[in-house]
Amino acid sequence: MTIKQGMKAIGHLDADCFYVSAERVRDGFLRGKPVGVLGNQGACVIAKSYEMKGAGVSTGMPIWDALVKCPEGVYVKRDFRWYEVLSRLMLEVAREVSPRVEYYSIDEFFFTVVEPRGGTFQGLADSIRDRVWERVGVPVTVGIARTRTLAKLISDAAKPFGALAVMDRGAEERLLSDRPVTEITGIAGRRAARLAPWGITTCLDLARADRRLVRSLLTASGEELWWELNGDPVRSVQARRPAHKALSRGGSFGESTSDPAVLHAWLVRNLERLIEELEYHGVSAGRLTIAIPYKSGQLGVGQVNLAVPSDRFDVLLDVARPALRKAWIPRATATHMHVIAEHLTSRSDCSGDLFEPPARGVRARAVAQLKREVNARHGRFALRSAATLALAPIYRDAANSHDICDVRGKSCF
Amino acid sequence: MCLGIALASSEIPNELFARHALGHRVHERGGEPEVRFLYRDRHPRLPVWRDGRLQIARWGNAGRKSRFLPETGWTWQATIDQGYWKNLNPVMVDIPASLGLERGVWYRIRQGVRGLLVPDENRVAVVYMICEPSSHYYQIMTRSTRMPLLIEERI
Repeated sequence: MTIKQGMKAIGHLDADCFYVSAERVRDGFLRGKPVGVLGNQGACVIAKSYEMKGAGVSTGMPIWDALVKCPEGVYVKRDFRWYEVLSRLMLEVAREVSPRVEYYSIDEFFFTVVEPRGGTFQGLADSIRDRVWERVGVPVTVGIARTRTLAKLISDAAKPFGALAVMDRGAEERLLSDRPVTEITGIAGRRAARLAPWGITTCLDLARADRRLVRSLLTASGEELWWELNGDPVRSVQARRPAHKALSRGGSFGESTSDPAVLHAWLVRNLERLIEELEYHGVSAGRLTIAIPYKSGQLGVGQVNLAVPSDRFDVLLDVARPALRKAWIPRATATHMHVIAEHLTSRSDCSGDLFEPPARGVRARAVAQLKREVNARHGRFALRSAATLALAPIYRDAANSHDICDVRGKSCF
Repeated sequence: MCLGIALASSEIPNELFARHALGHRVHERGGEPEVRFLYRDRHPRLPVWRDGRLQIARWGNAGRKSRFLPETGWTWQATIDQGYWKNLNPVMVDIPASLGLERGVWYRIRQGVRGLLVPDENRVAVVYMICEPSSHYYQIMTRSTRMPLLIEERI
């Protein structure tokens, strides 16, 4: 089937090794070299150039393993402020060519497109890629197809610095036939293992499989993928991010720890960051979960339901402490912590705690307001809980005050 | 501590290449070639800016070429502040660098590293790299407790 002129399609723009490309925009010395961007306070490679990837370094690899694979690698520190600047410039370019753009992640956008009069989708894909390169200096790959799942698969296949529009079913099938099913966003190891006994290993196998079988194996979301692979757009481009079902803050410690005082400091840091997010979205948390992965492979989880949803530091800390106690495994070395707020309620819908002395709430709100004002003037975390003193080196490093999760408006991570 | 630096080859004038026979120090890892200066070299050297000119100076006192200079290539900023170098009439210099090397990790340096230039008993200029305690990031990245004092940069 061929799309006729004036027909709509979906585009996917994906920056090529974005963090490295962003560093190269401001630092020409890094061009052509194997470059790794370090996260987790310098412990892990969170992005790598194609040169480093060719040497066998993968994303998430500890730097000490990466050094063995690529001793000539050059390492730079992550800078999400800079990456966000370039990300928003790319977003601007996408918005120039489309009225409906989804800010999917810091380096990926979906958008609707109409075949230009007198032009082709292929020409449009070329021009978007070239415009981002000229204006932002970041190499990107653009895929255009009938559905967003196909568009993403096509841009993945065209990397790096590619532009490809595939609107013909025959061409789609050729492309799907040599892509493993795990290339589809939403199908990872466990779901792929469910498909394998039925002989479904490539994207084309999935597209040609019986729809009811796919639904029984992968539920309704799997069926959506089936429709998408067959050219029926069922997943729309969402120009506005849907309301969050949960908000979370946390991540790697960089340096693993078994010290309860340090764990408590991380709890307070993550909670303060989470409260900023609750305030930004105007919601209160009805449930708080603390998850702590340990080096041994164990996962400690503590969960507490609040009697009344809240976004107040004093209230949330009171419930977070017992949750931390539940998640804590004595003497075990923890590597990460995640603080998750669920059962989110709009702040205007919260009735407040009828049994709390009114003065306590007034005082807590006044302290929160003061904290916001001081930090707005003197920098994020300038005024914070003294419980975070054990993390002084973390706060001293300005790079830690703006993380990937602080880039707002993305529909994915 | 920083065991070496690399400088983009375009930063070094041709005249210096010839005078100090820097050709064997040129390395390619992709992109622009770089000139490496390592403490483990037979003749350890470092580039320094002195009187508005880029010059090549002896790096530290490896092999005890001087009888009275300390047998190392580094000094703490605190040691300088406490006046231990005062009697040697030291001069603060900038060591231009594009990359630093620490325990096998090559990391990007935007401008360079601070250095201390002192004369030995034969009036030969000897440069020491200035160090400070490692930042949290640097310590995790390199597992080293000391880092070079970078010029207008904090990593």
